[in-house]
Amino acid sequence: MEPRLITLNINGRSHQVALKSNVTLLRALRDLGYTDVKNGCEKGDCGACAVLLNGRAVNSCLVLAWQADGAEIVTAAGLGTVDHPHPIQEALADSGGVQCGFCIPGIVIAAKALLDRNPHPTEEEIREAISGNLCRCTGYALIVEGIRRVAESRES
Amino acid sequence: MANFKVIGRPIRRFDALSKAVGATIYADDYKMPGMLHGKVLRSPYPSARIVRIDPRRARALPGVVCVLTAADIGYAKMVADIPGQTGQRERPQSETPVLAWDRVRYKGEAVALVAAETEEIAERALELIDVEYEPLPGVFDPLEAMKPGAPIVFEPDNIVARWRIRKGDIEAGFAAADLIIENTYRVPFVEHAYLEPEAGVAWVDERGVINIRVSTQVMEHFRTVARTLGIPQNRVRIQGAFAGGGFGGKEDITVEVFLALLALHTRRPVRLAYTREESILAHSKRHPFIMRYRIGVKRNGRITALQADLIADSGAYPYLSPYVSLYATVMATGPYRIDNVWVDTVAVATNNPFTSAFRGFGGPQPCFAYERQMDDIARALGMDPLEVRQINYLRTGDTTATGQVIQSAVLLEESARRALEALGERTPDHGPIQVGRGFASYFQSYGRLMWLHDTSQAWVGLELDGTVVIRCGAPDPGGGQLSSLCQIASEVLGVPLENVVAYTPDTALTPLAGTTTATRQLYMSGNAVLQAATSIRKTLLERASKYFEEDPDDLDLADGRVFIKRDPDRSMPLPDLVRICAAEGLPLAHLALFKAPFRDPIDPETGQGDVFPDFTFGAFAVEVAVDTETGQIEVLKSAACHDVGRAINPAAVIGQIQGGSHQGLGYALMENLIVENGEIRTPSLSEYLIPTSVDYPTTQVILLESGTGVGPFGAKGIGEPALTPVAPAVANAVVDAIGKPIRELPITPELVLRALGKR
Amino acid sequence: MLPEFELLMPRTLPEALEMLAQRAPDVMPIAGGTNVIPDLRGGRYRPACLVNVASLPELRGIRQEDGFLVIGGSVTMAEVLEDPIVAQFAPVLQEAAKMLASPLVRNRATVAGNLANASPAADMAPPLLALDAEVELASRESIRRVPLKDFFVHVRQTVRQPQELVTAIRFPLPPPGSRARFFKVALRKADAIAVVNGTVRVDLTENGRCQAARIALGAVAPTPLRAYEAEHVLESQPLTPKDIAEAARLAGEATRTIDDIRGSAAYRRMVTEVMVRRTLGEIAYGEGEN
Repeated sequence: MEPRLITLNINGRSHQVALKSNVTLLRALRDLGYTDVKNGCEKGDCGACAVLLNGRAVNSCLVLAWQADGAEIVTAAGLGTVDHPHPIQEALADSGGVQCGFCIPGIVIAAKALLDRNPHPTEEEIREAISGNLCRCTGYALIVEGIRRVAESRES
Repeated sequence: MANFKVIGRPIRRFDALSKAVGATIYADDYKMPGMLHGKVLRSPYPSARIVRIDPRRARALPGVVCVLTAADIGYAKMVADIPGQTGQRERPQSETPVLAWDRVRYKGEAVALVAAETEEIAERALELIDVEYEPLPGVFDPLEAMKPGAPIVFEPDNIVARWRIRKGDIEAGFAAADLIIENTYRVPFVEHAYLEPEAGVAWVDERGVINIRVSTQVMEHFRTVARTLGIPQNRVRIQGAFAGGGFGGKEDITVEVFLALLALHTRRPVRLAYTREESILAHSKRHPFIMRYRIGVKRNGRITALQADLIADSGAYPYLSPYVSLYATVMATGPYRIDNVWVDTVAVATNNPFTSAFRGFGGPQPCFAYERQMDDIARALGMDPLEVRQINYLRTGDTTATGQVIQSAVLLEESARRALEALGERTPDHGPIQVGRGFASYFQSYGRLMWLHDTSQAWVGLELDGTVVIRCGAPDPGGGQLSSLCQIASEVLGVPLENVVAYTPDTALTPLAGTTTATRQLYMSGNAVLQAATSIRKTLLERASKYFEEDPDDLDLADGRVFIKRDPDRSMPLPDLVRICAAEGLPLAHLALFKAPFRDPIDPETGQGDVFPDFTFGAFAVEVAVDTETGQIEVLKSAACHDVGRAINPAAVIGQIQGGSHQGLGYALMENLIVENGEIRTPSLSEYLIPTSVDYPTTQVILLESGTGVGPFGAKGIGEPALTPVAPAVANAVVDAIGKPIRELPITPELVLRALGKR
Repeated sequence: MLPEFELLMPRTLPEALEMLAQRAPDVMPIAGGTNVIPDLRGGRYRPACLVNVASLPELRGIRQEDGFLVIGGSVTMAEVLEDPIVAQFAPVLQEAAKMLASPLVRNRATVAGNLANASPAADMAPPLLALDAEVELASRESIRRVPLKDFFVHVRQTVRQPQELVTAIRFPLPPPGSRARFFKVALRKADAIAVVNGTVRVDLTENGRCQAARIALGAVAPTPLRAYEAEHVLESQPLTPKDIAEAARLAGEATRTIDDIRGSAAYRRMVTEVMVRRTLGEIAYGEGEN
């Protein structure tokens, strides 16, 4: 089983990496230092490892790294930083939707994917969009509220 | 300080944005040069004799640096007793083998450790460790485990702990009753399912100190690590990362001892991170309880006697079962004034997964039973459920079943009424869909058992530019503990919140503050920070009083200035005052030690004595729609009302309550760690279901602030209490909907149909 | 970590079929990976070789063709949900896709994979059974079309040979009077395996008679199944409450359920009957009339 050189375009940066076939995108990203992509279950149950893969939110634990060769990958850290946060990140921090925070990068990604396609979602649509992202701390209410505020501020 | 500037404001927690942009370095995000990867070999049997362990093939695998079995670590045992800041001696019989050598007592028990150059090699090495087991009969039911002749898990008789309460005259109490309601209740194993599986990194530094950076609720585990390894306590340092949730599951030791052993044996940094499946296999669970309740009541609704027999499944090792079962005993009566009480609790060892701390710590299980009983009583007497409770609610000045006098406000009536009112108009039934409503009241302690002599320390210091540093060893598993400490210092010192920094806990840098458990951190460390900041405030105001030639009482600190209250224009920037103090050698930092009230242990025969510093009171109300043909339950509305004493950060308090409510709804309706013959049948998050964002609507939160708690500014604890009343409230609502009793959790669709007699 | 395997990355369908032929039988196609990766990790199977078929151009897209609707072998649930042709002709597929797993999974999981994985609880199986779908299986040597009702053999077992690939799923466009609804009973509202799922389809004539009926059920037998006897009760009849109740009863009897962690056999049977009755009622009399 030989490693193979692939290209991962992550947050606008191109990485050439030699990886074995059984490495998931999650493992590859974390090994490259993208530790904002969280490992919560490695079987698609929790959503903590969500990234945008060519614009769609996916569980990176369910993608083989080779399958992402050449693809555009965006992680939560690629959307914003502490100094220049993405409005979704800012709103989640402001709403009180962040407790332990482990689920939040994945939720930011799911919310981004939602708002890109549907800038003015209903509460039901917001809840639906993050229904693959488990959170054990918040009961989701303030997370939903944060995402709703982003959508609202865009209307004004 | 009557008008708060920062306290009571819904501020953004300082850790929130960093987490949202993915910049927070959690336990498994930390890398060290030359880092090895650890793995744990675990028993595939719930009960077996180990005939032979042969690690030679694993050791020979290229890339394997270290394989440890019990023989390599001196057959070390770990004291799995109540951790943290306490002078109390430990219970010697709570020892747990670090690695099993002669027998395994539960499936998943650790048998060997590996450290290798890569995680892959470490995994392969596990397969090469040859262990020969001889399966032994096991016992998987606490009732069976108490019978003579049952397989012995825990010498001499599988009894891990017994507690009792004897108050008044139980027989006279029942004799005086017009009606006796007796039922048995059962609740299941529950998994914490925090999003972050257990993880950490350890290394031995240039001093020979073992450093462990770990996701934990308890910094003081450095003592357990040291004792287990037989090294001095000052040779182990714990750094607490922001933890990805805890809920009690990171209260016991998880990866710490394994990491320390591997780092010590390899002298290289070692990482150990559990997979989700391993996490579910390896850490504690909430106790299943079997609870027989007998309550005697007069026709007018007054309770005359309560008898409860509580049986808790402790699993294969004691861990915190003795204490969880004690909490359950103390809280078994519910928040009611009852003159005649008889409680017998027993925690029993089995070959099931071990049970220990989980949000509520023995509070939620009896609450399910006593609050279902209260509704049954109301129904039997033809009374309103709130009315029958009102007649019996504890009031300030009353004594609990253990004889403790309640000192703080008891807003039970108000919380129940307000929670019910918040449900608004009742949703009508529709065809086979029956709507029901229910509520539950509760009391739940915050702060530790008073005979543990609990303390917390915090260091607060002012820098020359007027900014503030807090050093306090309080782990923050997500509740915003550290952020609340910043608010307190900001308020007391009149420093803008953004100018206050609180370090994450590190036993080398932050004074020990005790565990983030028992809903104690705001109470204990909040008070410690309050003391420390108040001391500095005093220094500042005394010095400023000389400068302004005014009485210190006429001065105040706010917005980074010291000023004269009646003439705020006469003021000085805080940095100027700080520099004056510094030049004169006045103390600008203070290490405070806050002590909870100390008491002696309760009388073991009668359970009488003061047990906890204080209690939180409140209620949860819920409306459900039950599909009587499929058994499915829809939560339509819910409301939680708690007296939080004082909401330091209302956003954080609301978040705690909504989160606790959601966990409680999961406990009520969905969560069930199925264990058959010692084997977990729900081994991952595909089978062990926790609520998603679409399962339950937002819980309305109503905060009452009596200001009478023993925390800073009159705060009470809310982390654990938020969960306690939820499941019984849901059960009461379902019973209201279907008119049939519910006596177990979770209330699955099948259980509903069974209650309806449909199968 | 995942076990080791060889991963082949063909660029075209012929290339992929060649690889499958050469590596069979110890080979497994992988597209979205939402079943394959957890199964590899959990040790359910351990093929020596995987062939990535996620990006084969020949397997893309949903199209109308000769009175059939054709769903390409790499079409994801998300694509089904967004597709206007599906929305027009087979909205029941969208009802099912919307209840399958979670949005994150639906962006990867393919319709073909959901069928080929052959879980008894596969959410796409009942609606596709009710639509009389057939599975197109291609190998280096041949292409064959298997009616979906004959596709499933047992739990996690289909007629697909190791060298074959599901290249498309196709079904005849339903007539204008055709109505179909999906139902799912699960222990959680999102991302949960069905306790029972199913699809009821009724093709109505202009005067409201049932021309043809399909009742397909999942999670109640080793494979997704059709309740033929229940269907017969409805055919050529106006949908009376009596016939509906009888069809529902027969649907319950058609189940061959087992007890598992999600529910008992008895519960599954009972709920199948309730859900079939309700769904038929909704089709006959409109929403909420049960």
